[in-house]
Amino acid sequence: MTRVSNHWAVAILLASIGGLHGCASQRSEVALEQASATFQQIKDDADVLRSAPRDVIRAGESLGRAERLATYVGSGSDVRQYAYLSQRYSEIAREHTRLALSEEQLVKLDLKRQRLQLALREAKLASVQQQGKWLEAEIAALASEDSDRGLVLTLGDVLFDTGRAELKNSASRTVLKLVQFLQLNPRRVIRIEGYTDSTGSTEDNLQLSRDRAQSVADMLIDLGVEEKRVQVMGYGDQYPVEANASERGRAKNRRVEVVFSDDKGRLAPLR
Amino acid sequence: MARNVTRGPVRALSLALVLGVMAGCATDPAPHEQMRLAEQALEQAKSVGATDQQETLALAEEKLTRARTDLAAGQNREARMRAEQAELDARLAEAQVLTQKRDEQVQALQARIQRLRQQLEARP
Repeated sequence: MTRVSNHWAVAILLASIGGLHGCASQRSEVALEQASATFQQIKDDADVLRSAPRDVIRAGESLGRAERLATYVGSGSDVRQYAYLSQRYSEIAREHTRLALSEEQLVKLDLKRQRLQLALREAKLASVQQQGKWLEAEIAALASEDSDRGLVLTLGDVLFDTGRAELKNSASRTVLKLVQFLQLNPRRVIRIEGYTDSTGSTEDNLQLSRDRAQSVADMLIDLGVEEKRVQVMGYGDQYPVEANASERGRAKNRRVEVVFSDDKGRLAPLR
Repeated sequence: MARNVTRGPVRALSLALVLGVMAGCATDPAPHEQMRLAEQALEQAKSVGATDQQETLALAEEKLTRARTDLAAGQNREARMRAEQAELDARLAEAQVLTQKRDEQVQALQARIQRLRQQLEARP
């Protein structure tokens, strides 16, 4: 009875050793096949050869070693080791290739971004120019073309209280448009001319007309228009636009006129 | 004459060296250089931002630790093999991190380009 069981034990032991051995060589074979398959994928890829030639060579060398060792008995662990190293070299080569392709893509995309940014900037600039044209049209609508003096914008009596030179708040919208217009037309200069009605002495009127013109000029300068682009002139009660007989006529005569130069900075001469 | 006197000991020394090297071959030398390479690769991978979250880096660390244990136990062959694997695991981890970062940059740039396009198209 004991003898039989002993025999069985030996048989089982032998079988299990055989099984282990078979298992081991099978594992080597699987590792070798995997490494070989991975290497096949990369070895003919032009991108990989370009980006990671050294890793491809090492993957091939390690694989060759593993294959040679596989023909010897009892070299299972070495076969697996070199198969593993080959597998890793192939994977590293593939990863480096992805990296290189991403980097190339990054360069291309960055160029594209620069082009788009430039296009956008140009589009914005064009729209500012359009805005400038629109503003010009608006100023032209407010102003009138005088045959002797060119473009003239009249700021009416409503901008000042009677006898006062300070601009009222209602003036600011028109003045702001004027500032914008001058910013968009940097070569144009202006002359600000003050006028009064015939009430009061000639000298007081001259002074008042000058003060009114000056307060418009001050506001423009405060808003960023260069001082040298702005001339100031007071004409007192000269050059009325209507008879001073009626209140309505006098109101029309109390005014400030803005005379624009052409776009080369040439102003019409003084009256 | 003087040469003949020295030749004998030199020959003996050479023989001893050859024998010594052969003996070393038979029992794998301690893989200090390979350990250093693996450590270097691991450091390099971490310096570009690889973390334990990455499978390949975790593998590299585990293998290097075991290689150290093997080395301490005098199992030089096992130590060398594990260190070799650890080195390549770490190098793969490094490459993976770099690729991932680059891909993120590509995506960010693509999003930016998309926004620029939309802005351009929104303009009359």
